[in-house]
Order: sequence, then structure tokens, then C-alpha cells
Amino acid sequence: MAGSQSSLREANRAAVVDAVKRHGGLTQVELVGATGLSAATVSTIVKQLLAEGVVETRSTIRTGRRAQLVTLAHRVGLAVGVHVGHRHLRVAIADFTHEVLAERVLPLPQEHRVDTSLDRLALLVVDLLERLGLSISDVVGIGVGLPAPVDDATGMISVRGIMRSWDEVHVGHVISKRLALPVYVDNDANLGALAESTRGASRVYRDSVYVRASYGTGAGIVISHQVHRGFAGTAGEIGHVQVDPQGDICRCGSRGCLDTVVGARALVEPLRASHGNLTLRDVVQRANEGDPGCAQVIADAGAQIGVVVSGVAMTVNPQCIVVGGELAETGEILLTPMREAIRRRVLLNQIAPLEVIPAELGNAAEVAGAIALVLQNADIDLDPTAAAGVGAEAERVEVDGA
Amino acid sequence: MTGAPVHDGEQVRPMGATAPRVPLLAMKQITKRFNAVEALVGVDFEVYAHEVVALVGDNGAGKSTLAQIVSGVLTPDSGIIELAGEPATIPNPSAAHAAGIATVFQDLALCDNLDVTANLFLGREATAGGSFLRDGEMEQTTKRILRDLNSPIPSVKTQLHALSGGQRQSVAIARTLIGNPRIVVLDEPTAALSVAQTAEVLTLIERLRELGLGVILISHNMVDVRAVSDRIEVLRHGRNNGSFDATTASYESILAAITGATSYIKGDRAY
Repeated sequence: MAGSQSSLREANRAAVVDAVKRHGGLTQVELVGATGLSAATVSTIVKQLLAEGVVETRSTIRTGRRAQLVTLAHRVGLAVGVHVGHRHLRVAIADFTHEVLAERVLPLPQEHRVDTSLDRLALLVVDLLERLGLSISDVVGIGVGLPAPVDDATGMISVRGIMRSWDEVHVGHVISKRLALPVYVDNDANLGALAESTRGASRVYRDSVYVRASYGTGAGIVISHQVHRGFAGTAGEIGHVQVDPQGDICRCGSRGCLDTVVGARALVEPLRASHGNLTLRDVVQRANEGDPGCAQVIADAGAQIGVVVSGVAMTVNPQCIVVGGELAETGEILLTPMREAIRRRVLLNQIAPLEVIPAELGNAAEVAGAIALVLQNADIDLDPTAAAGVGAEAERVEVDGA
Repeated sequence: MTGAPVHDGEQVRPMGATAPRVPLLAMKQITKRFNAVEALVGVDFEVYAHEVVALVGDNGAGKSTLAQIVSGVLTPDSGIIELAGEPATIPNPSAAHAAGIATVFQDLALCDNLDVTANLFLGREATAGGSFLRDGEMEQTTKRILRDLNSPIPSVKTQLHALSGGQRQSVAIARTLIGNPRIVVLDEPTAALSVAQTAEVLTLIERLRELGLGVILISHNMVDVRAVSDRIEVLRHGRNNGSFDATTASYESILAAITGATSYIKGDRAY
């Protein structure tokens, strides 16, 4: 029964945990307002959660008064995941169990500059930590995803011209100098692949391909549970596979790359006459609202990407294709034509049809992957009693398996 | 990313998508003088639904004067104002409010000693006949608006003095949504905010746009402006000095228009 005592208590507990999660950290007084529960109930629930190790409390000052700040309990060390997108900077802070404690998204300008964006990145990380009542010394490392191929060895973008003003900048060095932390830089599609293959849609498969359909298109290839980055980090750069030999010249210097056909500019351009100036997010939103023109553009992109992905699939022979990125927010509008294009290749579907499925982690896949990258690499002095969480156990199994 | 060339400073004519392309607000040849000061001279300005238009320029370029005319604080000496294609006048702030124009001024005009709900409904309290307030209803509306905006405010019962700069800004923005406006004017919404707070406010602006509103954004911060706007209108000495598509125009071309290195002023309009 909905009205029973125990289910009511459960619902109240969930409301408190949800509120703490949503805001990162709240004082008990704020929790009363956020949940609509009485002060006494909140106090009792916080005490219970504290005893169970779900939350932590510490003293803080709000408007000149002492208050109890309630945050989710974190174990061992924190990891910061950052995704530098074409138009957004997403920063998430998670604990050793991958539980995200706080997250913010900052819109960025087109062609954002490396100096401003890295400066804002560093400030945003510190700001968020402060909000959680934590300091930089609680963090074991920062993972950064960039929408460009990244050379493993140097942590630099390995192909010039893909991100203007970001060439020649040692992103890892710049951030680690500011924050005095180890920084791991990788391609965003690789990070999405890492996250989806360890905690998302493709976790049950050995070999998979993660396709990131966004302002540009990229893929992360997972072979035997390992992300395959290639010699210079350009593995899976399907955005630069030629699809139109008579097409435009791409930023990379080649002609007719997939990105010149399904990149953000190529998607909004044919809508200009009928729909006016739209952004990529507008196209996605309108397609979801049933606008036939916008849906058409995305469906055609799905088919076009599908052709290139089937080439990758022929090479890698994965068990499934996971699709993420902004365009994947349209669901089957993108996926059905992509799946059809892939199913048309007979060889890929010999034993069973190749699965084409949406990403489970949605637009948080890249930061989740960045966090996973940090936790895999971080030299954590892991005291088994300290990291008794279920998530931590699972993580160790995955690392062993990798 | 695409291989298409970037057309810096391309003049654009924005269009309101599939809906008939009538601007929510069109201002034509607006002139405003304060004695010898030419605050605005023959300024044209348009806002469409589902669009963020940034108004940029040096100090004294006329940005705030134009915003004050839009919000009914000032009336122009000459010029035409059209709301949804119909000629209109905005003689005072309550006329602006009635016409669906809501403004957030730089000082926010919030009451520190009241909670979030009371601030949202300040001066427009919902009453149940006589002087009885419909507290529950106002609280529900406040919660709904904050949820629509994905606002970072933990509780509608928090008093304003307990909120951060970014949260206060989002209360001020939420307040504009009482009474379903069509146009929201934001005057320097990210000035003096931390990066995390700026992130919250910029995300709110994106959200207003997604809700289909026309947003007029006045700001000095070119990074913030280019992050969220569709179109950037440059004012210089009270005159239009360029209109840019925010997704293609470079910093350089916008700054050149602001500083007067490039000029779109033709003939004797320059004087």
C-alpha cells in the first residue's frame, strides 16, 4: 500500500538522497525546503543515512550561522571527469564507486579558444569541489575528453586543424600545472566507449563499437574489453572517412569526409531556407517534437553514418554498436536508418543480426568514461576495508577482466 | 565540425522556423536624445521567438537605453515599435509587462528578507478574493517554474540572502516567467558571477530559448555572449554597427565592430 508506514519512510529517504544528489551538498535546513519534509523527519533520516554510510555531514557556515552540510559519502578518492565538447563544457565529480556527486554544464561559444576554455575548466572544477565542501587534495586525478584524436603518449591532439587554436597545446600539462593533479586526456568517443563497455549498454559484450554522433562524428572501438586507440590515437575517427569524393574539403585537409556530410554545419545548412537559422540542438529538439524536415535530416545522417560504421564493423567484427552523442537523443529517428544501413551488409549479420542500440549513459557517457579512465590509472592506495562499497568491488573485477 | 568555410561577419536575417516569420518585437528607426546626448540614432532592432539576441557595445553605446525602451522605462523620441507585427507603444513598465515583455535589471531588484516564492510573486500576489493570499498555489507555481528551468535552487522557502549570486540571478529570471512572457530582457546577467554560477545562468538562458521565448541579452563578456546567442547586434555611439550570426562570426569581427574598426554606418547616418 502506498500509505503504509514503511513505504512512506522509504519514499522520504529517497527524497532526501535525491535532493542531496541533485544539488551536490545541502544543509539540513535546505533539505527541509527541498524535500518538503519536516525538520524532525529530515534530521532522523540524515542520522540513519549517516549511520549507514550513505551520506556524510560536516559543519559549515550559511548566512553567518553554523549549519550541517550533508553530502553523499565518498570513498577513498574522488575523480573529476571533464568533457570539452564543441558547444559545452561538462564537469562531473565522482567518488571511487563512480557515483557522481556534482555536475555542471557550461555552454561554450563556437570555436572556443583554448586559453579561455581551459581557464574556465580549472575554475569550474575548484568551484564545484568547494560547493561539496571538499578540496583539490581529495581528488586523485582528472580525465579530459576532447572531440579530436588524442595521442596517448603525449596527451596532445594528434591531427592539426580539427580544433582550431588547440593544436600545439599540451592540454594535460596546462591543467595539471593549474590544479597540481595527474591529468589523463583522451578522445571523447574513446571515453564514451570506455564508459558504455564497462558500465553501460555494451558491458556484457567483449567487442563493441561506440559511435558518437554529435557536432562531429567519432567512434570508440572496444576489442576484448579494451579500448583500441591506435598508434597516434586516430583509431575510430570515422568522421574523416571519405564518403563523397566530389565533396567539400574537410578541416583535416581531406576531401568529402563524413563530417562534411553529417557534421553540425552540414545538418543545419539544408534547413536554412525552410526553417531559418537553427542550431544542432534545435534540430534534435524539433525532430523529437515531430518536425518532418528536421527528422529527415537526422534520418539521412543516420543512414550515411551507418554505411561508414558498417565498414568499421567489417574490420572489427563487434557484437554490438552503441550509439551516443546529441543526435542519438532523437532515438529511433537516427537509429532505424543507421541499423538498416548496417543490416544491409550481409557478412556482418551472418550468425545473428548486429545489434545497434542507444547508449545507456546518454550525454553523461563521456564524463563517465573520463572518470573511469582516472580510476583505472590512479595510483590509489586501496585499503579493502575502506572501499567496501559494492561499486568498488565491481570495479575491481572489471579492471581484472580488462 | 565541418569543412565548410567560415563567413566572418556574415550579415544574417534570422527567421523563426516553421512559424510565420513575424518578429515578436521589431523596433525601427528608434531615436532617443537627452539634450545634447544622442543615446540612440535611427536604431533598428528585432527579436524573434526561440531566439537569443545579444546586444553588445562599449559603455555609452546605447544598449541600456534600448533595453529601457523595450521594457517601458523610457519612451523613444521617434521611431516605430511593433509587437508581433502590430504597431504598438510601450509607455510604461506595466504596459511592457502586459505586452509580455519581462526585464531583469542588473541590480535584480529582489528582496533579501523574503523567500523565493514571495520574490517571484512580489507585487503580483495571487489572492483568493479580498486580501487572502493563495500561498499553496503560489508555491506550486514557483516549484513548477524552477523545475521547468532546471534551476539550481534547492528550496522555494529559502530566504534570498541565503542564496549565491548565480541562484539570485536564476530567481530573477524565474520571476520573469510569472505571467507567461514572450520576451525576456537580461541586463548583464553574468557580471560578477563565478564560473559555476555563470554555467547555471547560461544554461537557464538556453532553457528560456528552448521554451520558445525571445531573449535579449546585454553583456560585456564576449565568451558568454557567443556561447548562448543566435545573433549579435552591435551598437556604437547609439547607432547600429553590425549584425552577426553568433555561430559563424569571429571574436575579431565583433570586436572590430564594437571598437569602430569596421563600420556598417552608411552616408550621413554616421553623424
